[in-house]
Amino acid sequence: MSVITKRIFGEFQVRGLSHSYGGVPVLEDCTLDVPRGKLTVLVGPSGCGKTTLINILAGYETSTVGQVLLDERPVAGPGPDRLVVFQEMALFPWMTVEENVNFGCRASGMPAGEMRSRVASVLAKVGLADFRSKYPSQLSGGMQRRAELARAMVNDPKVMILDEPFRGLDAMTRSMMQEFYVGLFEEVGRTNLFVTHDLEEAVFLADRLLIMTYRPGKIREVIDVDLPRPRTFQVMATPRYNEIRQHALELLYEEASKAFAAGSQAAFDLVDGFAKAAGR
Amino acid sequence: MASGILTAPSNPRRKAHPWLRQSFNRHTLRGAVTLVVFVILWALVVAFKVPYLRLLPPPRDVAVSLLQSVASAGYWANWWISMVHIAVGFVAAVVVGVPLGLAMGINRTVRRFVFPIFEVLRPVPPIAWIPLAIIFWPTVSLTIYFLVFTGPFFIIVLNVMDGVREVSQNHVRAALSLGAKPRDVFWRIMLPATLPYVMTGMAVGMGVTWNVLIAAEMVTSATESGLGSMTWTAYTNGILPVIVVGMLSIGVAGYLSSALLRLLGERLMPWQRRI
Ligand SMILES: Nc1ncnc2c1ncn2[C@@H]1O[C@H](COP(=O)(O)OP(=O)(O)O)[C@@H](O)[C@H]1O
Ligand SMILES: [Mg+2]
Repeated sequence: MSVITKRIFGEFQVRGLSHSYGGVPVLEDCTLDVPRGKLTVLVGPSGCGKTTLINILAGYETSTVGQVLLDERPVAGPGPDRLVVFQEMALFPWMTVEENVNFGCRASGMPAGEMRSRVASVLAKVGLADFRSKYPSQLSGGMQRRAELARAMVNDPKVMILDEPFRGLDAMTRSMMQEFYVGLFEEVGRTNLFVTHDLEEAVFLADRLLIMTYRPGKIREVIDVDLPRPRTFQVMATPRYNEIRQHALELLYEEASKAFAAGSQAAFDLVDGFAKAAGR
Repeated sequence: MASGILTAPSNPRRKAHPWLRQSFNRHTLRGAVTLVVFVILWALVVAFKVPYLRLLPPPRDVAVSLLQSVASAGYWANWWISMVHIAVGFVAAVVVGVPLGLAMGINRTVRRFVFPIFEVLRPVPPIAWIPLAIIFWPTVSLTIYFLVFTGPFFIIVLNVMDGVREVSQNHVRAALSLGAKPRDVFWRIMLPATLPYVMTGMAVGMGVTWNVLIAAEMVTSATESGLGSMTWTAYTNGILPVIVVGMLSIGVAGYLSSALLRLLGERLMPWQRRI
């Protein structure tokens, strides 16, 4: 029934990656794995270099120090095997939802018939079948996000990379999107790298949690999240969930304090996180 | 859309044509009142022979002159000639200006070569080109086409150039990630993303275009006609009502060409429509 074929998905290996902007080191000796078929979540305070790391993995930027391997081959430039969903909305405003979603198919020269059925099934999957001829500006924030997920999935990439995709959505929509997204992942089991600064979101989604440090950005700890799948929001009430979250929070707190001292946005995110933790 | 509410009539007899309903609402009524008051004041100014305005023709003379003009073929010939002047010069400015603006926006080398010329020429008011243009071009029509061209040309080029540089990096990156080739990025990302800037450049340029056209037609009115030349000839012959008719006609013509551009913009950019 599913048009998305199960095939061998990709995996990233990052070894000793460093990157700096104008002499300011952002990433330093960054080493991590994004294993095949797993949902890896990268969490760290704002400004620690998550987007920078993503841009290098996606091939938008290159780094002189270190190695980025996708299936043992060095990454050179952007390509349709790695799909990125951006922090800011990146749907093309001048295309309808359907045109946005079939952009990748057309670029790869897919036959029209195959393209139509593929796009129809992906749009149905994200619940946008009735909105195919709307423009992005006519959609709600949650729908725009789903359209972006559809556009990314339709190409059947080896790896999906999502950079804080649910930032800016209201709390309710955000929870819905998290559950929806985790369902999509569990159905196909594609390699996913999900970036966020929100710890609750991170623990809820992840198979593996990478905690990133602030200045210089590197991976401080890898936490295996052994919560059962399929995940629903009930999991957030379990003792194991809280245990993992508490542990990650302590690590993150140190990093966020460093960022706070440096006057970063991270401070606000942290206050946000504590307020949420206290509210539960 | 809200039309569902509006078109559900409680009283079928009162169901007016939507165009009528749009045209005759409270706001247009206020505008009409202002116009009537303006004409009454105008008539009073003429009746009381207010100093400095003693030569002003009364509204009635202008109305009569307007009716005579509308009934004459010569008046419409002037309309036609002005419209052709505008069309040729303006279309040329778009056809040359948009690709040049795109090239300057995309390619740094082109920009570095061409931009200095623009820095020098852009501040020159289009009307200041008139003497040189008359000397330079062999026929009056060519002179006018050229002058009309200079009006919107610089505005369009600079707008398009800015538009290219405003193209979102994320859109380009998203396209590349989806497997787009440079050709796709140009036609399906750059061009539509720049289109609003093209249309803005054209709209602003259209305003300037009529300024330049009327000045050019007035200066060359001995040999070439058009609405500007009609107005100027009326002045040299001392027929005041026709001067006013000419001014009104130019106003209407300018309004119509801007409205046409707006319509074109809505057609080309359906995603910008307010829903
Ligand atoms: N293009 C750039 N030029 C200069 N500095 C940058 C650039 N992009 C990011 N930075 C800096 O690098 C640091 C990390 O940024 P970023 O990777 O966006 O962090 P995050 O995504 O974790 O919030 C920040 O201090 C930011 O100011
Ligand atoms: Mg970021």
